[in-house]
Amino acid sequence: MFAPRGRTGLAHRPHFRFACLAGPGAAFIVVALLLPLLSIVVFSFWRTESYELYADWNLGNYRDLLGEPAYRTFFLRSLAMAAAVSLVCLVVAWPVAYVIARHGGRYRLLFVLLLAAPFFTGVILRVTALQGLLGPIGLVNMALGIFGMEPVGVLMYTPFAAGLGLVYLFIPFMVTAIYLSLVNFNFELLEVAKINGARPWRAFVEITWPLNWIGTAIGLVLVFIPCLASAVTQRFLGGPQATSFGMSLAQQFGETGTWALGSAMGVFLFLASLVVILVVRRTIDLKRSGFTGALGA
Amino acid sequence: MSGTSVPDAVLRLQSVTKRFGAVTAVDRIDLAIERGEFFALLGPSGSGKTTMLRLIAGLERPDEGSVTIGGRDVTDLPPYARHIGMVFQNFLLFPHKTAAENIAFPLRMQRLPRAERDERLAWALKLMRLDGLEGRYPNEMSGGQQQRVALARGLISRPALLLLDEPLANLDRELRSEMEVEIRRYQKELQIPFIYVTHNQEEALTMSDRIAVMRNGAFEQVGAKTEIYTHPATAFVAGFVGHANRFEGRLVELSGDFARMDWKGTSMLVPKPRSGGPGAAIQYAIKFEDLEVARSVNGFDLAQRNWLNGTLRDVIFKGQTANYIVVLADGSEIVISSAPRGLDLRPSEPVIVHWPVARGTSFPV
Repeated sequence: MFAPRGRTGLAHRPHFRFACLAGPGAAFIVVALLLPLLSIVVFSFWRTESYELYADWNLGNYRDLLGEPAYRTFFLRSLAMAAAVSLVCLVVAWPVAYVIARHGGRYRLLFVLLLAAPFFTGVILRVTALQGLLGPIGLVNMALGIFGMEPVGVLMYTPFAAGLGLVYLFIPFMVTAIYLSLVNFNFELLEVAKINGARPWRAFVEITWPLNWIGTAIGLVLVFIPCLASAVTQRFLGGPQATSFGMSLAQQFGETGTWALGSAMGVFLFLASLVVILVVRRTIDLKRSGFTGALGA
Repeated sequence: MSGTSVPDAVLRLQSVTKRFGAVTAVDRIDLAIERGEFFALLGPSGSGKTTMLRLIAGLERPDEGSVTIGGRDVTDLPPYARHIGMVFQNFLLFPHKTAAENIAFPLRMQRLPRAERDERLAWALKLMRLDGLEGRYPNEMSGGQQQRVALARGLISRPALLLLDEPLANLDRELRSEMEVEIRRYQKELQIPFIYVTHNQEEALTMSDRIAVMRNGAFEQVGAKTEIYTHPATAFVAGFVGHANRFEGRLVELSGDFARMDWKGTSMLVPKPRSGGPGAAIQYAIKFEDLEVARSVNGFDLAQRNWLNGTLRDVIFKGQTANYIVVLADGSEIVISSAPRGLDLRPSEPVIVHWPVARGTSFPV
């Protein structure tokens, strides 16, 4: 005979319930995210020959990656591009997010959605559209031509054009991140600062900026990391001087079929992104950010 | 009444008006605040008192009129050029700064030398009894501590004027009465004029020297707090300050300083209203504590008293006093506040409510 288990049964234990809730999602993340990542790590220590992967463990891919000046150039170029794009996005997005959060009234959400509207189409289409705008027979240069002016060379297949494209692609992330931070910001604190003698700019530096730094940092990460890896934009808009680390990486998996080297590049990119995140994390002091929740164990 | 003749007023408002759309939030206000004065702005919510404070602070610009602080016209100056302090209902401390950093903020904005800053900070911490809490963040402090930090921040730069917008409304009752006493002590010590906005008449009466009762953007009455309490200028003030019973009736005849009033067939002798002759509708207000309740009126000179018969419905014991609720012959209720000791009345006992004729105030309606 079994004793009735009643409320002490497995189904009533809180841990079991949480496991039921979180389990499927966690399993999905493990399968869909960690396993491929792990396989990339494994491949990066293998060897490719004639489009075939061979499981002989070696460090050759990393030696090539770090030794070959071209890869270093691509990486530094991508790093510089990501930094410049993040900075431009930051400077452009802050006032936009601020105005929407402060003065958008009940249309705030609509404005943010409008900014994200280009997302409804897809990356290739957006980049192509930009190509149509900036290219030699694009709208800008055509218009200049009609008035008998020289086309603006810097807009046509240059790193600058690629950067412009990246800013256009990623600025909605930055605006959204800063906006979400600002809608939770108590603007009354600025009045307090002003009464206590702070000029508007000082009030921004003392109050608004530090209290919205977490959101801003999230925006920076959301822009910087995809920019670091980006390939498509540079390919369509950048011309030969804009070849990025991401483009080279894509090539390893495509044209040249050197998967092992590509995997090593992927691991390198992953580690670089991790470093960026850790650096940003270091700048965040929860107490100094006005974070009021429990700090946890 | 406006007090604009005060020669060296710290703050002077001249016909200050502020409209929001069709609503006139502050309507041609004249006011002068003297050095060392504790001034309360008392009124129900929506009466314009917070708008007035914001106009003084420079957070709003008046549509008409001028604001002068310390003899300087600041009407067009932003808040940071006015050298004032302000304390808010919800404290509004900077959440990412420690108590000490919050308090020293105004001094940093003034670019005071470090040594002087530290000295002032130590002074403010001591004054507000915040020693030992310097390093705490706002969310690590109790409401009372946060409010003291807010007060310290408002006072540390020794502003020309401290504005307080319902600073105690978010504190519990016990802490509130403690802070009432403390705030008044700081004010008297520092001799900085305080302008204290509240809808709580007890706060206004406890702390201030002078009170302005506001209604619909204008002053109903401005005066010393005892004056406001004992001689309300309007029926609104009588109803808003203190607890009063109200009788609405008709003026029968005037005799000297008194008027005979008919209230539902009962004749009462009341102080003469400001205007109105026989037949005019008047309202008579008398505070709970000005009434007396007894089993009989033996031993009183009834020529100098009004009295009403009724039945005691309930006694609400409040500690120092008790409220006696009496149902009158017509079914209406009046309240008498009295020391509970010595009165051994029981509910449903017939009683007589009586009071000297000179008490209370009557107003033309």
